[in-house]
Formats: sequence, C-alpha cells, structure tokens
Amino acid sequence: MIDARPAVEQVQAAFTQAITEVCAVHGVPMLRVKKQDLPTVAHFLHTNPGLRGSLSLLWAVDHRPREARYELCYLFTLAERKDWLLLATDLHGDEREFPSITPHLHAAKWYEREIRDLFGLVPIGHPDLRRLVRHEHWPKGSHPLKRDFPWDRVLGRVQGEYAFRKIHGEGVFEVPVGPIHAGIIEPGHFRFSVAGEPIMQLEVRHFWKHRGVEKLFEQQQLTEAVPLSERVSGDTSVGHSLAYCQAVEMLQGVEVSPRARYLRTLFLELERLHNHIGDVGAICNDTAYALAHAHCGRMKEQLMQLNDRLTGSRFLRGVNCVGGVALDLSGLQLAQVEVELNALEQDFSDIEKIVFANASLTERLENTGILTEGIAWDHAVIGVVGRASGIDRDLRRDRPFAAYDVLQPRVALYRYGDVRARMRVRLDEIHESIRLIREVRRGLPLGRLVSRPMHQPQPGAWALSAVEGWRGEILYVVMAGDAGRIHRCKVRDPSFVNWPAIQWAALGNIVPDFPLINKSFNLSYAGNDL
Amino acid sequence: MFRILKKSLQTGSVTGQHPVGAAPSEPIGPEAIEKAKPFRRSMTIREVDTGSCNACEMEMNALANPVYDVERFGVHIAASPRHADALVVTGPVTVNMERALKDVYKATADPKIVIALGDCAVNCGMFKGSYAVTGPVDRHIPVDVRISGCPPRPAEILAVLAKLRQDESASGS
Ligand code: SF4
Repeated sequence: MIDARPAVEQVQAAFTQAITEVCAVHGVPMLRVKKQDLPTVAHFLHTNPGLRGSLSLLWAVDHRPREARYELCYLFTLAERKDWLLLATDLHGDEREFPSITPHLHAAKWYEREIRDLFGLVPIGHPDLRRLVRHEHWPKGSHPLKRDFPWDRVLGRVQGEYAFRKIHGEGVFEVPVGPIHAGIIEPGHFRFSVAGEPIMQLEVRHFWKHRGVEKLFEQQQLTEAVPLSERVSGDTSVGHSLAYCQAVEMLQGVEVSPRARYLRTLFLELERLHNHIGDVGAICNDTAYALAHAHCGRMKEQLMQLNDRLTGSRFLRGVNCVGGVALDLSGLQLAQVEVELNALEQDFSDIEKIVFANASLTERLENTGILTEGIAWDHAVIGVVGRASGIDRDLRRDRPFAAYDVLQPRVALYRYGDVRARMRVRLDEIHESIRLIREVRRGLPLGRLVSRPMHQPQPGAWALSAVEGWRGEILYVVMAGDAGRIHRCKVRDPSFVNWPAIQWAALGNIVPDFPLINKSFNLSYAGNDL
Repeated sequence: MFRILKKSLQTGSVTGQHPVGAAPSEPIGPEAIEKAKPFRRSMTIREVDTGSCNACEMEMNALANPVYDVERFGVHIAASPRHADALVVTGPVTVNMERALKDVYKATADPKIVIALGDCAVNCGMFKGSYAVTGPVDRHIPVDVRISGCPPRPAEILAVLAKLRQDESASGS
C-alpha cells in the first residue's frame, strides 16, 4: 500500500529541483529534499488547498558511527484521506544548522527546540531559541541524544535562569505556579500574566520530569524494551507499549494473529474507559461538584480492579509483547467483563443525567477555555482536545491498527472547543468503548497469541507506528541498530503537541478557571517530558 | 434531587470493597514507627513527584476515592508542604526536579517523616543510571519508609500507613 500517490506527484511536479529522492518506508512515501528548500516545500504541503498537510511529527536521527550524518524527518498528515507523507533532509559532516520551518508552521515550534536541545542542531530562523528540555542549569554543550554522549554521564550544574516572556504595563502582574502543585499531580510550571482577573498570557514551562527515556531506549534490545515503553506515561501503558510493539513488528515482518489483534483492542479500550471516567469525575470536581467526582472515582476504581483481575496489573501492564499479547482471556472472563460493563454503563448514564441536570455545573463548563478550530489546526492539535475543536481525526478510523479495521469505531466530534465539548467527547467515547468491547467479545477469533519474527532487521532499518491512545495519537519511530539493539527510538505522546495549545485556550479566562481548563485537557507531563 | 438520592441509596457504601493489600515488601523499622508516633491519629501528607511515570500518582489519588477513603483513618492530603507531617515522594529524582525536592523538604516543618513510594523512588527503577536522573530519593533527603512496587497497589499503601499508625485492624478489610 502506498499512501498519497497523487499528493507525491503534485509535490514532485512543483519542486523538481528541490527533491533528490523519492522512496517509501513501509508504505509511507518519503521525499528527500535539499536542506535549503525545506521551508518552501513544507509551507506548500501545509497551505496548498488540495493537500492541507498538518505536521504530525518532526524528529532527528544521529547516524553515527555508521555514517557521519544527521537526518531530519518531517511527517505530514494530509487533510483529505489522512494519508501520511514524509519529508527528509540530511546534514552531512560538520553541518550543525538547518532552516527552521516554524515561521511557516506553528506546529514545528517545540519539535525544533527539542532537536536543538537534544542533538545540538540549530534551527536557523526559529523565533524562539530558548532552551526547552535542558533547563538552564545544564552545562553548555550537553546534547544527550548525540551518539557520543554517554547515556550515564553525570551532568553537573551551572548557574542560569529561564527568561519568561514579559508583558509590561500598568497593573500587569505575573502569577507563577509550580513546578510543585497543590493537588497530587505531576510537576510543571505555569506563568500567568494577568491584569485584574483575566489571563493576558500563559507560558508553559515544562520538562521537569525529563528522565532521558529516548536515550534509555537506545541501551536496550528491540525485543526487550516493552516494559520501558509502558513506563513512558503510566496512565497510557497499553497505548505506548502497543505503539512500540507495532513498530518492532513492522521491522521484523511479524504478522500478528487476529486473536492477538482483538485482545489488544480490548485492552486499549479498557485503558480508555478508566481514564475517561476518571477525567469526567475530575472535571466535575474542579467545578466543586464532589458528588459526581465520588461516583466516577468509584467506577474508575471498579474498572482498575477489573484490570487487575484480568491481567494482574491495574494498569494493564505486561499485556503487550512483541509479536502479540502475553496473556489470553477465557470465554468466562470475557462474559464477566461484559456483565460488569453493562452494569457500569447503566450506572454511568445515571451520573450523566445528574451532571447535566445541574445548571451550576454546566454553567462552568460552557464557554470556558475555548480552543477555536483555527488555532487547533494551526498547532496540529490532536486527540480528545482536537475532536472537541472540530479536528476530525482518529487513528482508529483513519489508519486502522489492531482490530479496528473490522470493528469500525464511531468518532466523536464537537466543534465548540470549550470544556463542555471536551467532556462531551469523553462521554461519547466511553459509550463507544463499551460497545467496542462487546464487539470484541462477539467476534474474538481463535488462534495463537504470539507470532514469530520473519527476519531480523538490518541496522538502519526503521518503522513508524501509530496508536490512538485515550489522549490521542501516540507515535513511535524505532530504528534498528547492530545486533538487535535499538539505534533510535522517537517517542511522541499526544501531550507534547497539545501542551502549547493550552496557552491559547487559557487566554481571556480568569485564573481560577485554569485548573478546570487544564483538567479538561488532562495532558501527561511524563509523556511530554520523556 | 430525587435522582441524586436514589442513586446514593442504590449505590450504598462501597468503602473497603477492595482486595486485601499484600504485606509491605520492605520491613518498616521501629525508628520509622517511633518517628510516626506524633501522627498516629492524624497525618497530613504532601505528595511530591520527582519524575514518576504518573502511575504512582494515580494510585495515590485512588486513596482518596470512596473505595479506599483514606480520610477515615485521619490521613489528609495537604496542598502545601508547610501543612504536611509526611512527604510521599515518587519518581527517580530527575536532574530538573532535584532542587525542588530539596526545597520542599526544607519547607516541611519538623517533626516529619519521608515515605519513598514506588520502585523509582526507592532505587530509581528502570531509570537508574540515566544522565537525567540523580536519585534515588535517599541520596538527597533522609527516607524513613520505603514502599516498593511498580506501582504499589493502593491497598498496599494503606497497609503501610496502618502499620505506621500501629493499627492492626485496618490494614486490609
Ligand atoms: S515505580 Fe513504576 S509506577 Fe511508579 S513511577 Fe516508577 S515506573 Fe511509574
């Protein structure tokens, strides 16, 4: 299957001089572009009305020691059929600069800063070259994803301070929040500039939790890194490990059995369920409606106990393995799942009615934290947050994986982009998840659980895999190294894309509404910071 | 209103409806129990995440749900370290969080106890050795109680808290 053939021809025709090579990576077309032409080609892909490409991922690879070359890859999702198209460019020898595409595409902003921090490659023309991942106390020249940077180096500490964007004017003041917050949530820093109550500017300063995950992947064997992928963002253990496994399976030419595909679907939907129900409760809690929070907390707990009984892990850890799934479910277990979920759906519907009958609650949700469709598109926002702002994307439908080609999920879509819309998307998806799990039970085929690899990947071979986790699109790029090791693993949690967008959704709202807006996004800090 | 009442009556009390927590894998020393003595009847916890994968946070949050309802044992979650008797620390201590952890420890009034929650906090877990990690927690601040697990189940956390209260009856239920 080759994606986007007409689009490739269109770009080729428009840029005959700029394109040096056309190839395909596991069915995804890739155009190698001369470095200096990259911004023009990217701009064309993004703005051409027939293409409307949205930047889905931007990553770098250090090919040393095999080749003295850095490679930059740009993944675009085209608007019409959600086809993928890759651009790539090379930096040879001692070249350390590449032209920034951020002036044309907002969505590239954090990616390019990330590449600068982790690889020491400089995006020329980038409007904001402050550090992102490396906080100011990191010594100069420490770029951990360069191949010659030892994974266990002791960093040391220097003096330095991050320069927040300032707004000057009478009555303008700053409210710093974090990194440690009031509730039990992950660390991150928010800097509000306010005049009176309304937020004039919000700056998100993250990466407090940077653990060096991508470098740690490089220390592992392809077949052994599943537990690490489960710990990228603990609440998304299934989503991340599934995306990782799929990438390795592509590299090894593994054909996963239908039974394993169905079970993967079931586990992914169970993960979506307990997280979404928890989020609905948490949103209600931030409007001070403790009753709904208590009920949702009870149901979430019930689901996590169910997970534990089925798999021995409340977070469904250890279910995915390279080649399939590590454990089977009996017919009896599946029947119990269905009985329990039927009761839960009834239970949850009661709470939905109670919640929406409460005007003082819905009042808080409506018109709060609006993320318009235009801004969402500019920033390539995805997942629950995107679908609440009219971005009609869901990988389960657009690029089916696991058993979604057969099961055909219905995609929730709302346009208003406020807290209520984000809650609505979750409510729809809860019911849809339960329906999908019933379908899995009905259609679950017999067969083996784990399939064997056809071959071992050549060093330098790579694959790109995508999973629609409960937050949104999870992307993994896995490149094989020597002797079955990982040469490079790019991890992209949807949070990395959606965090910058929250800065826009908060504008004009009052500071006390920010926790509510933040909850309605509910992004991962661990998955963002890596 | 009627709907809410009906729902509450139908649901009934769910507190304690969970599997019994396994006994703590690491023994709790007599010094820790001695140190926790002032907080036997009421302990206020401040949670500090120093780079966890967030599953440990989720289990801490679960303690507050109606099933575990940790408040019934006099355990509260505080919004500020200034109000805390105990720090519960998760994560392997990242380079970027090291300073914040030390600050929080200093800001917490004495007497206090420190609980390292999860394998990451106890021994850096899977992140051991990484350039971005400087933990585990006890390299930076004194740790009194260690709860291993990845993540530990809420019932196991409850069992440890019960042990600290010297309350044999409430460890499971
Ligand atoms: S101990 Fe395990 S669950 Fe807890 S933060 Fe570490 S990796 Fe996550």
